[in-house]
Amino acid sequence: MRKILRFAGREYRAAVKTKGFIIGLLIAPLLMSGSVIAIILLKDRVDTTDRRIAIIDQTERMAPELLRRAELHNTYSVIDTATGEKVRPRYLFHVVETDTARSSDQYLRLSDSVRSGALYGFLVIDSNIVHPGADLDRAYVTYYARNTALDDLRNWISSQVNMHLRELRLQDAGVDRSAVEDLFVWMRVEGRGLLTRDAKTGDIDAGREATPVEAIIVPIGIMMIMLLMIMMSAPGMLHSVMEEKTQRIAEVLLGSIRPFEFMAGKIVGGIAVSLTTSAVYILGGIIAVTYLGYEEYIPFHVLPWFLVYMLLAVIMFGAMSAALGSTCSEAKDAQSLSFPTMLPAIFPMFVYLPVVKEPMSDFSTWISLIPPFTPLLMTLRMSTPESIPLWQPVVGLFGVLLCTLLFVWAGGRIFRVAILMQGTPPKFANILRWALRG
Amino acid sequence: MTSTPDAAVSLTGVTKTFGKHVAVDDLVLSVPRGSVYGFIGPNGSGKTTTLRMIMNILYPDSGTIRVFGAPLSPAACDRIGYMPEERGLYRRMKVRELLVFLAGLKNGTDIRRSVDDWLARLDLSDWADKKVETLSKGMSQKVQFIATVVFQPDLVILDEPFAGLDPVNTEVMKDAILELRRRGTTVLFSTHDMSMAERMCDFVCMIFRGSKVLDGTLNDIRDTYALDTVRLRIAGDGAFLGSLHGVDHVNDYGRMQELRIDAAADPQEILRAVMLQTTVEQFEVVKPSLHDIFVRIAGPAAKKAVQEGAHA
Repeated sequence: MRKILRFAGREYRAAVKTKGFIIGLLIAPLLMSGSVIAIILLKDRVDTTDRRIAIIDQTERMAPELLRRAELHNTYSVIDTATGEKVRPRYLFHVVETDTARSSDQYLRLSDSVRSGALYGFLVIDSNIVHPGADLDRAYVTYYARNTALDDLRNWISSQVNMHLRELRLQDAGVDRSAVEDLFVWMRVEGRGLLTRDAKTGDIDAGREATPVEAIIVPIGIMMIMLLMIMMSAPGMLHSVMEEKTQRIAEVLLGSIRPFEFMAGKIVGGIAVSLTTSAVYILGGIIAVTYLGYEEYIPFHVLPWFLVYMLLAVIMFGAMSAALGSTCSEAKDAQSLSFPTMLPAIFPMFVYLPVVKEPMSDFSTWISLIPPFTPLLMTLRMSTPESIPLWQPVVGLFGVLLCTLLFVWAGGRIFRVAILMQGTPPKFANILRWALRG
Repeated sequence: MTSTPDAAVSLTGVTKTFGKHVAVDDLVLSVPRGSVYGFIGPNGSGKTTTLRMIMNILYPDSGTIRVFGAPLSPAACDRIGYMPEERGLYRRMKVRELLVFLAGLKNGTDIRRSVDDWLARLDLSDWADKKVETLSKGMSQKVQFIATVVFQPDLVILDEPFAGLDPVNTEVMKDAILELRRRGTTVLFSTHDMSMAERMCDFVCMIFRGSKVLDGTLNDIRDTYALDTVRLRIAGDGAFLGSLHGVDHVNDYGRMQELRIDAAADPQEILRAVMLQTTVEQFEVVKPSLHDIFVRIAGPAAKKAVQEGAHA
């Protein structure tokens, strides 16, 4: 054991004393949450160039209201009153007479104006849209622009057109608009958790308000941290074992320690690296969240499970990485093995959305009980506001333990044979044979 | 040499195969305590496999290995310093830090003082706090050697310790090995350098195609061969020597020639025949050198004989 700890100590120091580790510690969470941060930082970074739009209004009842609403937008939504800065584009609408005889020619001319930059787009409102009746296919509103699929203006026009259409239809039906003012008031359905009775006071609470932070962001964040822990230790083991083999250090070490101690030292070192990283992220996260006043969202009851699952995941994937690293004789072998080795760890990233959305579904339950996926997916499910039955994480833990033992056993056998073998490429058949026969 | 109870290392009937290839075949070996024991043989003869089995890195298919009278165990391996032929060091570690780490893996005591002593002895004190990647190849080899001996092992196994060393570092290495012997350490090393083995080893063992073909002191080994070698130094070209009656083989070193003569030939007759053709500056009848014995056993002629035997 003393040799394992000595070797693990060297591995740990070699990993954490590098600039790469410290930079990685800072950059990895930024990269993993990069898209979210980018959305937040860039959400106001919009093109504020004015949008000139021509309207062909065949109803002759829509255009004036659209112009009025555009004017309201230009007055209240374009300039940030606090900074005086222009934050959105102005919508400059103008009406074009309908050329019913040669509509295609007219649309082509307008398209050329868009191409030349004189217009941003043009809108064609069909005469049948106010009362389409059963013939819905013949009623249309068409917005022509360079890229309409991702154009915010299309959504704005759609919303304004439909709001005005409702008003016109009420008007045509002879309903006084002011009598049914609340017809257009949109009611939000509030989500709350189940009610519980306080054991001490006997009071019944109102049920916790369900928020996207608690239901999605926290579970995914916790799962991401665990994935980060695994990714910061296991792939490194593959490469460091490969280096020790190719740089002929392995045999020097095997003169002092047994192959099992060699591999165990690597794994214990990897665990120490993961614990260091998780201590930084978890403590840092708790402090930051508490400072921001969101401590109620921290699922403290998940933390012990998180740590146990994380340690087993590091052992499981670390053993396999070290074993496969020992089969590599050159860097390109390690590169080609890196992805398949880590695929079971990464796979939960492909299925986490349905799992976090419905953590109690059959799919979520069964997939989280498949041992290589259990650490990430069970922790994800347990971090949601749903109450996962206790038997599930317990059975999951049992499965992970068995799988970890299997990986360590097979990894040890592969490692012992492959570490001294030079020039033999890591073929799947060889690896399987070494695992089964030693 | 047969196995003895007080041997530093003894192998009895050790066999190791890789697939269908027999790397070591029924090997019996005994390395006396406190000796310098040379392990020679051509490439691929099973030397490294044998040394790895002694280090418990590879396991024999059959046979037993004992170290200092006890079966091979991790504790026994902690008494052995091992320098493999394929050797490397952690390039980003500092020299002293690395040596302390490696000695620690052997459960060595008083490591730091021993590290500093050896660094001073091999003239590496100034490099103690430098990273390994800054060392020259010769310095790295010396650091490797220190890592092998720094925890004061009772047995040191060196696989090709002189490979790649310049003459100066070869001398340093040789002196260090002899210093170990003076302290009572048993040294077992493999080498292709026959002259080094001849000069340094108390005992020599040769392994060929996995089997032992020679074992004993150098004198014992040479005594098994007759006075069948003539060492000559002549004026001019020695191309005619091979055609002389009674000469089986000529080893021409340029400024010196070694003739292997057949058992019935008279060396004096050969001397007279040479003197008829050129001036003889030196003439000596000797037993074959270790190099010559090695070539006789493992050279092309021997290999051809083995192959013909296999086909017969």
